[in-house]
Amino acid sequence: MSVVETLQHDVLIVGGGAAGLRAAIAAVEADPEASVALVSKVYPMRSHTVSAEGGAAAVARDDDTLEMHGFDTVKGSDFLGDQDVIQYFVEQAPRELTRLEHWGCPWSRNEDGTVATRAFGGMTTKRTWYAADKVGFHMLHSLFQHSLRFDRIVRYDEQFVTRLLVDEGQVRGVAALDVREGVVRCIRGRSVVLCTGGGGKIFPFTTNGNIKTGDGMALAYRIGVPLKDMEFVQYHPTGLPGTGILITEATRGEGGHVKNVDGERFLVTRDYGVGSKAELGPRDMISRAIVQEIEAGRGVDGAYGEHAHLDLTHLGEEKIDSRLPMVRELCKIYAGVDPVYEPIPIRPVVHYMMGGVDVDIEGATLVSGLFAAGETACVSLNGANRLGSNSLTECLVFGARSGEAAVAFARGSNDGAAQRIDEQAAAEQARIDALRGRKRGGEKLATLRNEMQGAMERGCGVYREAASMQQTCREIAELQARFAEVSLEDTSRVFNTEVVAALELANMLDVAETVANAAARRNESRGAHTRRDATARDDVNFLHHSLCYRDDAGPRLETKPVTLGRWEPEERKY
Amino acid sequence: MSDLPKKTFVVTRFDPDQDEAPRTERYEVPCHPDWKVLDALNYIKDEIDGTLSHRWSCRMAVCGSCGMQVNGEPSLTCKQPVSELPDTVEVAPLANFPVIRDLVVELEGFLEKLKQVKPWIIRAKEKAVEEGTHSQSPAEHAEFKQFSMCINCMLCYAACPVVANEPEFLGPAAIALGHRYSTDSRDEGAAERNEIFRGEGTVFSCSYANECSEVCPKHVDPAAAVNQAKFNAVIDWATGLVLPRGGRE
Amino acid sequence: MARPAHPEAMAPAKPGRTRTAPPHRPPKFPMQGRYRAYTLFDATGAVYLLMGFGVLHAVRTLGDGEVAWQALLSGWAAPLYVAFHLLALVSVLFVGVRFFRLFPKAQPPRIGPAKPPPGPVILGMLYAVWIGVTALFVGILSGGIFG
Repeated sequence: MSVVETLQHDVLIVGGGAAGLRAAIAAVEADPEASVALVSKVYPMRSHTVSAEGGAAAVARDDDTLEMHGFDTVKGSDFLGDQDVIQYFVEQAPRELTRLEHWGCPWSRNEDGTVATRAFGGMTTKRTWYAADKVGFHMLHSLFQHSLRFDRIVRYDEQFVTRLLVDEGQVRGVAALDVREGVVRCIRGRSVVLCTGGGGKIFPFTTNGNIKTGDGMALAYRIGVPLKDMEFVQYHPTGLPGTGILITEATRGEGGHVKNVDGERFLVTRDYGVGSKAELGPRDMISRAIVQEIEAGRGVDGAYGEHAHLDLTHLGEEKIDSRLPMVRELCKIYAGVDPVYEPIPIRPVVHYMMGGVDVDIEGATLVSGLFAAGETACVSLNGANRLGSNSLTECLVFGARSGEAAVAFARGSNDGAAQRIDEQAAAEQARIDALRGRKRGGEKLATLRNEMQGAMERGCGVYREAASMQQTCREIAELQARFAEVSLEDTSRVFNTEVVAALELANMLDVAETVANAAARRNESRGAHTRRDATARDDVNFLHHSLCYRDDAGPRLETKPVTLGRWEPEERKY
Repeated sequence: MSDLPKKTFVVTRFDPDQDEAPRTERYEVPCHPDWKVLDALNYIKDEIDGTLSHRWSCRMAVCGSCGMQVNGEPSLTCKQPVSELPDTVEVAPLANFPVIRDLVVELEGFLEKLKQVKPWIIRAKEKAVEEGTHSQSPAEHAEFKQFSMCINCMLCYAACPVVANEPEFLGPAAIALGHRYSTDSRDEGAAERNEIFRGEGTVFSCSYANECSEVCPKHVDPAAAVNQAKFNAVIDWATGLVLPRGGRE
Repeated sequence: MARPAHPEAMAPAKPGRTRTAPPHRPPKFPMQGRYRAYTLFDATGAVYLLMGFGVLHAVRTLGDGEVAWQALLSGWAAPLYVAFHLLALVSVLFVGVRFFRLFPKAQPPRIGPAKPPPGPVILGMLYAVWIGVTALFVGILSGGIFG
């Protein structure tokens, strides 16, 4: 077995988006001596945080309270969010966004110089801080540029972590494939924080970029950490048909209207549960409403199937250019429509995973030394449905918390047996060398990926039912088996993106397995998980988190109680 | 798929382990009318030739990964419609950069230049979180806002004739980002950056080609930033002759 | 394939751990597309260099007396020199206009507490000064002023 190069740090952060960068900064600030590695499969400014558009929520105005933000989040989560987590989150949110402002984030401003806020779905008052309609871009670049100040954050860019290295029940580092060189390195660390984002690419129609393949979730899953609440996949109501490109909720926050083929504002005229909030209802309800309108025959015909309309024409050019400039550009480039003059074609699109690696409020998993934060993790802040603009703040709050917890853990920890750890990395080198360009049973990578995505769309769409979910579980299991027969073409060592795509597909199949199996087990409708054959929320039997453990015999499902607090579950009506 | 019109993509290929120098390969791609060049490249990779390596992610012109030369022009391939191009499309890696593989270029040089300009808020005394946010008026925000839009796509570096000749030149994006911070009302580091702008990577290497601004997909107008930086660097130098450093803000 | 750029263009301080292909210049450089105007803009430097030599020669000739001076002036009336001076005029106009167009966006958002005037005002001022100074020099050289 070959020898791999070994590197040593105290804390390893996997993933360089908002959560990863925030965790890295928190770690070096908490411990002036700590050596922190930031290992990302792409350069940090390419992380998918960059595409977030609408805003980040935190209490800012005098007419707002932490309690209100807390309750909005609890209710938005359909009472599946852990209330201790939510309490901590709303307290820290204003501090984190203020801190980011100090680090240069160009928040949009009111005339008096204070940070401006806008309305957002499910929020009772304006508490979404924004930077025109490119908040994720500005947050990511501010965080990345600020992180450049710290020499003790050592970056490993375009290094793809393929395995967590475990010794004596504790995570001791990662095996990372250097995409450019084609070699695997053993990066040892006393704690590891997974901040790799979600896995929207298991679906065919998603706002997510190519890199969102659930890598961190799969890594944790494979060493025995359960994935929690995976059935809850958020369909954002307004994505462009065809590409799936996100049209931010801020369009509705600034007054946009959603209409059917008759020009009717059906969220107002018909009862879809959003009450007077209309277009500012929570995302799951609006997505369901749009699907129902289309099924009732009131959808608009388009080249990519039926869709609804998002009408901004009454907002005026000035407002659109100042508050929603990127939306205007995106519509012109990717939909051939100018929202100042025409309605935007939109339909629900997979956007976010509420579920993820099961962690506690500090980001710690059940495996010693392993932490997770951001969309990768399920703390659970978002329960069964996430409110828009909570996730960017979540990345900061829990990125910081896990970074601090990880470095404290590293301080008190030891290194483990070097040889046993290095051997695992060497095994990874052998595995990847064997995978590269290999000819097996003739299964094509793109075919397997398309079939996985098709199965997920059929079984785990906005509306679900038992038979199709079971079918999807079977199809995913079959695809797992067929993956062993995949044939690859690229035998090159240098910057082989095909082998990376193959490893990502393996990760996605693991994530898809947990989503489909968890969904099949939840016999109720709650938040984003809506069933035609179990339409009511069932707090008696299903007020719990689902946990999905990896098992050779098939995923093993268990449950975990929800931490309630000051708010008892009630009917979720707006 | 088979009844879609086909275009010929002539793509630069390079594998350092196999190829002495870059070469090209031709691919016939059936193109959907809505496709961007990136969609065609992905089709090639998925259906025709799995050995093609290229960077991409967001496909919505905000992550900056997919910059390449398309028919000789630096272009964001996720934004460039195929329908606007002739029947033969040449796709090559970005000009002015060393090439790692196929359409993938070396970015470390840029990151070094970026770090040189200190792209962060420099203040004598950091504000405490408890004190709240800095006050910044919409007018103050507008002064640097445009320069903060850079997605680091590197098209400007690929277009700049000076970057082709002078390895030390900081380049459009790095200077624009340094300038973005110097003009941010919360920053106090303009003097430091002006010295950097007069230093080895000097902004004065810019010879007014304006190509950077012509190709920028985000309308950052780096040429404006570079020339404003020249102005500031000169004023700073001149006042530095007259007033002692401590006498300035 | 396009011509090579400087071998170190955009190279990192330490070379990467795999062999890279050397950078190539923008393919349309120097004389295709928008680069043509830029290359000509920079090339006018040659014209100014020659003009500079001409001015130095003229100044030196002044020291040689009235006859030599008159000989120089009548020499400059020859078609070749006239053509060169026309070229120089076109170059200066070209560079001036292109340069002036850049001025408004080259103003920093503020200089100390003062904001620069709006773009059209700056352009107006530049052209006014250019025309004014030109008129002044024409007046002096033609003998109209200080006749």
